Amino acid sequence: MPDYKAPLRDIRFVMNEVLNSEKHYADLGAEDASPDMIDAIIGEGAKFCEEVLAPINQSGDQEGCTWSPEGVKTPAGFKEAYAQFVEGGWPSMNAPVEHGGQGLPESINIVLSEMIGTANWSWGMYPGLSHGARATIEEHGTPEQQETYLTKLVSGEWTGTMCLTEPQCGSDLGILTTKAEPNADGSYAITGTKIFISAGEHDMVDNIVHVVLARLPGAPEGTKGISLFIVPKFLPDTAGNPGDKNGVTCGSIEHKMGIHGNATCVMNFDGAKGWLIGPENKGLNCMFTFMNVARIGTSIQGLAAAEGSFQGALAYAKDRLAMRSLSGPKNPDGKADPIIVHPDVRRMLLTQKAIAEGTRAMIYYAALQADWVQHGEGETQKDADDILGFLTPILKAFCTEAGYEAANHGVQVFGGHGFIAEWGMEQIVRDTRIALLYEGTTGIQALDLLGRKILMTQGAALRNFTKMVHVFCKENEGNESMKQFIEPLSTLNKEWGEITMKIGATAMQNRDEVGAASVDFLMYSGYVCLAYFWARMAETAQQKIAEGTSEGDFYNAKVQTASFYYDRILPRTAAHAQMIANGGSSMMEMDAEHFAF
Amino acid sequence: MAEYKAPLKDIRFIMNEVFEAEKLWASLAGTKDSVDMETADAILEEAGKITASLIAPLSREGDEEGCHFEDGKVTVPAGYRDAFKTFSEGGWAGLTGNPEYDGMGMPKMLGAQYEEMLYSADISFGLYVCLTSGAALAIDAHASEELKTKYLPKMYSGEWNGAMDLTEPHSGTDLGMIRAKAIPNGDGSFNVTGTKIFITGGDNDLSDNIIHLVLAKLPDAPSGSRGISLFLVPRNKVDENDVVGENNKVTVGSIEHKMGIKASGTCVMNFDGAQGWLVGEENKGLQAMFTMMNYERLSVGIQGFAAAERSYQNAVAYAQDRIQGRSPTGVAAPEKAADPIIVHPDVRRMLMTMKAYTEGSRAFSTYVARFLDISKFSDDPEQKQHAEAMVALMTPIAKAYMTDRALDTCIAGQQVFGGHGYIREWGQEQLVRDTRITQIYEGTNGVQAMDLMGRKVVANGGKLFELFASEVATFIEAESDNQAIVHLLKPLAASVERLSDTTEYVIKAAQSDPSAIGAAAVEYLDLFGLVAYAYMWARMAKVAAPQADADEFYDVKVKTANFFFARILPKSVSLVESIKAGADEMMSLTAEQF
Repeated sequence: MPDYKAPLRDIRFVMNEVLNSEKHYADLGAEDASPDMIDAIIGEGAKFCEEVLAPINQSGDQEGCTWSPEGVKTPAGFKEAYAQFVEGGWPSMNAPVEHGGQGLPESINIVLSEMIGTANWSWGMYPGLSHGARATIEEHGTPEQQETYLTKLVSGEWTGTMCLTEPQCGSDLGILTTKAEPNADGSYAITGTKIFISAGEHDMVDNIVHVVLARLPGAPEGTKGISLFIVPKFLPDTAGNPGDKNGVTCGSIEHKMGIHGNATCVMNFDGAKGWLIGPENKGLNCMFTFMNVARIGTSIQGLAAAEGSFQGALAYAKDRLAMRSLSGPKNPDGKADPIIVHPDVRRMLLTQKAIAEGTRAMIYYAALQADWVQHGEGETQKDADDILGFLTPILKAFCTEAGYEAANHGVQVFGGHGFIAEWGMEQIVRDTRIALLYEGTTGIQALDLLGRKILMTQGAALRNFTKMVHVFCKENEGNESMKQFIEPLSTLNKEWGEITMKIGATAMQNRDEVGAASVDFLMYSGYVCLAYFWARMAETAQQKIAEGTSEGDFYNAKVQTASFYYDRILPRTAAHAQMIANGGSSMMEMDAEHFAF
Repeated sequence: MAEYKAPLKDIRFIMNEVFEAEKLWASLAGTKDSVDMETADAILEEAGKITASLIAPLSREGDEEGCHFEDGKVTVPAGYRDAFKTFSEGGWAGLTGNPEYDGMGMPKMLGAQYEEMLYSADISFGLYVCLTSGAALAIDAHASEELKTKYLPKMYSGEWNGAMDLTEPHSGTDLGMIRAKAIPNGDGSFNVTGTKIFITGGDNDLSDNIIHLVLAKLPDAPSGSRGISLFLVPRNKVDENDVVGENNKVTVGSIEHKMGIKASGTCVMNFDGAQGWLVGEENKGLQAMFTMMNYERLSVGIQGFAAAERSYQNAVAYAQDRIQGRSPTGVAAPEKAADPIIVHPDVRRMLMTMKAYTEGSRAFSTYVARFLDISKFSDDPEQKQHAEAMVALMTPIAKAYMTDRALDTCIAGQQVFGGHGYIREWGQEQLVRDTRITQIYEGTNGVQAMDLMGRKVVANGGKLFELFASEVATFIEAESDNQAIVHLLKPLAASVERLSDTTEYVIKAAQSDPSAIGAAAVEYLDLFGLVAYAYMWARMAKVAAPQADADEFYDVKVKTANFFFARILPKSVSLVESIKAGADEMMSLTAEQF
């Protein structure tokens, strides 16, 4: 099992040097977020992740969660780690001061989430899942609801869930059937079965606050008839403490490919007492207010997978001896050379590195936009919201797809040992696989990007972004050392718009063309975005080198990784472009019954 | 999990119609009197039945239960023992074995189809059988008459199992570093001592004995890979009457806890002065293994797409059944709350991709098996030599490309299931876990790529590659007036052109930069695989097109070919671009700078 070391140098590089976070927080008016303060927070967080969470990652996978009629027991050490987490005040970091939070910007929390996620994704989901419930109540709850639930969620004393999926409905929430019948006292009786509820039941806290999607009597069909309800596991008594058991139970937990340390629950609501939150039948709209931030949260799983598997693979590749370098022995005293001398091993490591560091820049950038969405006003807020809305499906789908690829490289670098549980690499693959499925599958994200975000705005969302890339390319026009990046980037940036126009035109004739192009389009977009951020990192690194630095190796490695990305990964865009150009007829022609031939 | 159904229709299409097995077998010296179509067909039919009914039902539970290691012994999951006994009684382990020792002597082209069905049913189970066949193959090719007579019949009958013991803790890819020793006893036998790891089927309770083929070094053997010999070491001693006796100082240290193939015991084996016999010549152990390696590598490739076939069958059933959302072009199932997800273009993209890869793999594995048969059964030296060259060229592609695409396919099959794809009971995630190992063992896919790029392409200046290129060119030329597939021939020709051009580029680059081979290898193999599959799909389309109006099966073939060319082959453009970016970016970082 590889030791986890928080990549603090790289985090600082992205935050401070590439994204200029000091100016960002000053503009944002977040006085507390001074560089020293942030450094201290991140340093402390890193320690907690390295020393407390990482050591229970593998044991958590092996032990898994245990279900009994009394509830779910989490793996050894999980509960204690959570208590420490609450004691350290971590859950409240990004919450508003008026609800007991520390009022720090979301972007700092994203850095913490990365470290938690890399150290132990399963564990991180318990506090992570509270986010949705917390945001819903913060955004749409009544003052009483906020007083009762939000304070406890902010402190971390209680955790929360989002109960959306039902056995018959996952991607298509319009067909959900859970019912909410009004009680005389203004509350509702919620009845129905929810599945795939992460952290739906566990032993780490005294109470769990479920936010449940259900239908009121006579509600319109489809997605326009869904309302949100708060349903606590225990009904708070007059003092606000957990009182009577509510009619909600965990029927079973799933046996899964990975994230064994996190309980994926079937939740049965049997006339459970709940309270409406937000307007009737507007449940889905209410959820969209925080969906973007939640999806950044999931995209981090891709980054975490890339970072964790890269750390493991790199250590192994330097240590493991096999064969000689084709350009002559590099370790003449040993029986063989360390495998990092072999080009193909380097190809895999560099791919992991390019994905880990590139998606970090992308995600942190998006997190800064999230800060403006939460704390900005007027135009600034709207612009940030537009960019974030555009980037969200790309982050969620592309970062997890790329992270999953990186995790598989990690296994491959280890050879046969990669397949063996004790080395930890296969766990990363198993844990990460879910990221391509939950919070909207890759396919759903791709439809969101191409359909809702781009075609429905007549391309405006894309233009916001390509304009920014264009400006960046212009700024670097005369810069010889940036030429290797700027030329392909500006070509792709232009092609991106052209491809979109073409899809838009064909989709007018045949609506299937959107879905047929969508995933290739999303991946194409992801690669171009990553190219933009790699160019920005290369630009910063080259500036540092030009200014003179004692960290020449670090910055040179950045430039070289950027070159690798441009030379060896970015060409994938050509294939996606051509597949899109070839249209959807070859996938739509076949009769559904004929697939089984 | 949907019930497994052996894809016999497609198997027959590929074997009989595309590759004309009957004609081939009738023409080869070694098969013309021993193989007839009726027998072959009956074997396929029976293989389809027994794998679907006897083995496939074990797979899910076998994964949950896994193998056990207690008191120094490995036991297989419930049901495996009985199934193995029934299966062995059918003589399946000896299907392609040497008839002189009670094998059935069937050609590999048929064996490949049977292996596919076996692995689709359960890779773990299939490994026990195929490891035995593989060990038997090496024994048959290199061991003394005495060893063959003693061991082969029992292995073919499944009474004894086989295992291959190569890897040691510090030496996997680099076998030159192995430490296991073999000391001559003076009576023609040797004392073998050492530790081997990752030994699939190294111990189990399926049969009475395990016959290990162990790589070890003789005293004073040259260092490196030229000093390795191969030994036959039975787990239990066998007396002159073939009675299995006491343990031969071959013990199990532990079994591994793995990502997948959990019903297959992966053992640490300790040899502590175990009695063994030399197989083949002294210090030529690796060469002896190479005979078998081509078969084994094809077999691992087949494992991959066999699992992918299973995943595809499940995904199609699920996509036709699961209702979610409405078709973008209008409601397709108005009587239901939503449309089956097979109406959605992206779900179709995944299914079509799975189908195109899996059937392409089936064609390709049959194509390679065909060359194996020619090289084994032909008496025409020129034909034989050509087939051997094609086997050499295609084997790394068969192993690596088929397994890489198999993992992609199984992942897609999981994706079609949405969240359920992540849940064990549905079976899709198991197929991903089981398939993952196929990219690693029998030489990682990186090692395969080096074999292809270095030994098979660059080392001979592209001579072997020309054999393939000219075969495809001949096909294109012959079909140039065939209106039914002419739209495929142009992109096929372009892709071969791209591959030729890239081949030349790497050969040239390798002259001045030793890193050029390793830097290009994986993407080159990918590119070669794509072009080879394009060729396979063009050949399938050629056979199917004239019958497309009469039979939907053939119509679907043509449509899938079209999909492959429109939505998969374009990857070749990117691969060429990546390869031509060269090695510099890969080699420039120091190890510390990573």
